[in-house]
Amino acid sequence: MQPPELTGSPAALPVSGDGEYPQLQLDELRMWFMVGGGLFRPPMAVKAVDGVSIAMWKGETLAIVGESGSGKTTLGRVVLRLLEPTEGRLLYAGMDITHAWQRDLMWLRRKAGIIPQDPYSSVNPTFPIYRILEEPLAVHRLGTPEERAEKISRALENVKLNPPDLFQAKFPHQLSGGQRQRVAVARAMILEPEFIVADEPVSMLDASVRISILRLLRQLQRKFGITFLYITHDLATARHFSDRVGIMYAGKLAEMGPVDAVLGEPLHPYTQALIEAIPDPDPENRLRDRPALPGEPPILTAPPPGCRFHPRCPIAKPGLCDVVEPPLRELRPDHLVACHLAS
Amino acid sequence: MPALEVQNLRYHYRTRRGPVRAVDDISFSVEPGKTIAIVGESGCGKTSTANAILRLLPRNVEEYEGKVLLDGQDVMQYSNEEFRQKVRWRGISMVFQGAMNSLSPTTRCGLQIAEPLIVHYDLEREEALAAAREGLKGVGLSEDVAKRFPHELSGGMKQRVVIAMALVLKPKVVILDEPTSALDVMTQANIINLLKNLQRDVRLAYIFITHDLGLASELADDVAIMYAGKIIEIGTAARIYPSPQHPYTQKLIHSVPLLRGESAPDFIPGAPPDLTSVPLGCRFHPRCPVSFKICGWSASDLESFFALRARTEADPGIQKVSAKKFEPKDSWKLVVTPKEGVAPADLAAEIQSLIAFEVAKHPVLRAVEKVHAGTSRVLITLYEARAPELTGDNGQRASCWLLTEEGKQYAAA
Repeated sequence: MQPPELTGSPAALPVSGDGEYPQLQLDELRMWFMVGGGLFRPPMAVKAVDGVSIAMWKGETLAIVGESGSGKTTLGRVVLRLLEPTEGRLLYAGMDITHAWQRDLMWLRRKAGIIPQDPYSSVNPTFPIYRILEEPLAVHRLGTPEERAEKISRALENVKLNPPDLFQAKFPHQLSGGQRQRVAVARAMILEPEFIVADEPVSMLDASVRISILRLLRQLQRKFGITFLYITHDLATARHFSDRVGIMYAGKLAEMGPVDAVLGEPLHPYTQALIEAIPDPDPENRLRDRPALPGEPPILTAPPPGCRFHPRCPIAKPGLCDVVEPPLRELRPDHLVACHLAS
Repeated sequence: MPALEVQNLRYHYRTRRGPVRAVDDISFSVEPGKTIAIVGESGCGKTSTANAILRLLPRNVEEYEGKVLLDGQDVMQYSNEEFRQKVRWRGISMVFQGAMNSLSPTTRCGLQIAEPLIVHYDLEREEALAAAREGLKGVGLSEDVAKRFPHELSGGMKQRVVIAMALVLKPKVVILDEPTSALDVMTQANIINLLKNLQRDVRLAYIFITHDLGLASELADDVAIMYAGKIIEIGTAARIYPSPQHPYTQKLIHSVPLLRGESAPDFIPGAPPDLTSVPLGCRFHPRCPVSFKICGWSASDLESFFALRARTEADPGIQKVSAKKFEPKDSWKLVVTPKEGVAPADLAAEIQSLIAFEVAKHPVLRAVEKVHAGTSRVLITLYEARAPELTGDNGQRASCWLLTEEGKQYAAA
């Protein structure tokens, strides 16, 4: 196979030294949705993902952190090719799948899974757990009935729904939120995937249950060497459960790097503001106002020119930040930032 | 005088599976200009507490009693009509969970805020709308939001509209039920700052309901930790955060993933109990890492433990186990029937060694007080489960047996 040619953004690293392809490469990927428009009005483009380059290595967890409307969920759907990118390239293990046909992507459906946000609406309420877990196997025509039963009970054991015999007969409404999310994890794992997109897998759950689900994902990842794209708005869980973190703002990556580097020394003013806005438990918090940026993220049909963050940025420089779009630069080893003023 | 004082509030409702003890004998108070945060996992009765205070009751109420003192007046004595006119919204108002998604999509925001003024104060429409515009300014929105429909606003703006609605009758107490849980972190920080400023300006008292201890610390002067319908720890934030006394509070604080601190978060195994059948004794004991004898296991827990061992032949000597109630004290005992050819004394010795070696693995065994071999059967006496009371001084009280002298003696024994 010919090594794919990339546009050369530092974030979309090419093949590593030992000739191995990244699990996933996004090269200046764009996903625009056309909305509105009428007989005499042209439709407008919602630029949900607008030029994102990422390379993900096998077995790592990359957290994509952003506010709602930053395009993080769209990104998760594009990389699984649930949506067809508008522009750019998408490579899975070196294979170009940017514009592949859905029926040619059955292999990807087996190798890549998704854990949805809402454990209440993502499973069929009329199916018992057994059938929920059997469905992916049936779709891919895998295994004899005995082999499937064996697989399902192993999957339930893996997500600690013990004993499996008891749980596979139950219906979703008989389970708690945390248990349902475990079922969703088991369903994503049943085809033994190498890559999983977890889209806000714990945001609907209680604080005390979140950690148990995230720990479980971490354990399964280590056990089976899965690559995780963890999409979240919660920097604190991203810190504890991922290796690298990418901060998204208005459809673009603002900053990306190892999790300790980004949170220890945030280079982008948006990342700095985001960290400032999150309280750790401390009774002193009540005595002072929390530093918070005014305003809202921009509307993605007409993002501001130049740096998309400049209207809210405390240090924006007129004449530069509102005119020139900052490229993603590697300011520290593996630590990239898209800001003119970061140094 | 506290702005609001709740004494021994109890609120149960009927279901087909029996009464749900959503709020079970809780007491707390909040001073003007201060905040009490009610924190706990979902299904612990936090929102039910709020509904009980505002008397927003469903039809299947089984029990509703206690005292709710608003400025010293017991409003529980009021008739429904009196309560509606004098207390609800005028004295105590509430920002409901997810309310920003329940705004009427076909009514302009201004009228939605003005509605209670027209209904409660008999104001003219124009006057009421002027007050609504004033209210919008108070929450940091521009006046022309009054003319807009909810779908034209962002999440943060809608939440501000909902807060303006709660404040429009100038109440003394505002209940905030997860006021920021659906919002982004930046919007959340802005809303919290707004709530802080409003409180400072007009000495509002807040009851802040949340499951997030980090967020609670943004407003809380006092903290009440709720578990299974009861307050299990209550006190000042300044004392509870650095030194939580109840094992549940400790676990809850450790479950918060920190953005700055070093420690990795931990989770609480298990789930809160079904409120139709709360555990005997301390309600947290089945999940508690340090629970012991009198914290409470029910006889049926121990029965099913031994029954499982008999079935799986882990204890080959057991034929049958049954829990029985014995006179005169109504105390539960386990009656263990040995298999044929096994002497009761041998079985008793076997069970005793099981307890000695396996108690760390199976905490339920801590409920055993005595194993007694009879002529044909073995009798196991159980410690009686009793619920611990809140103990401590006014700054911090917790209900855990380990905090009492009696419990400490038991634990040492």
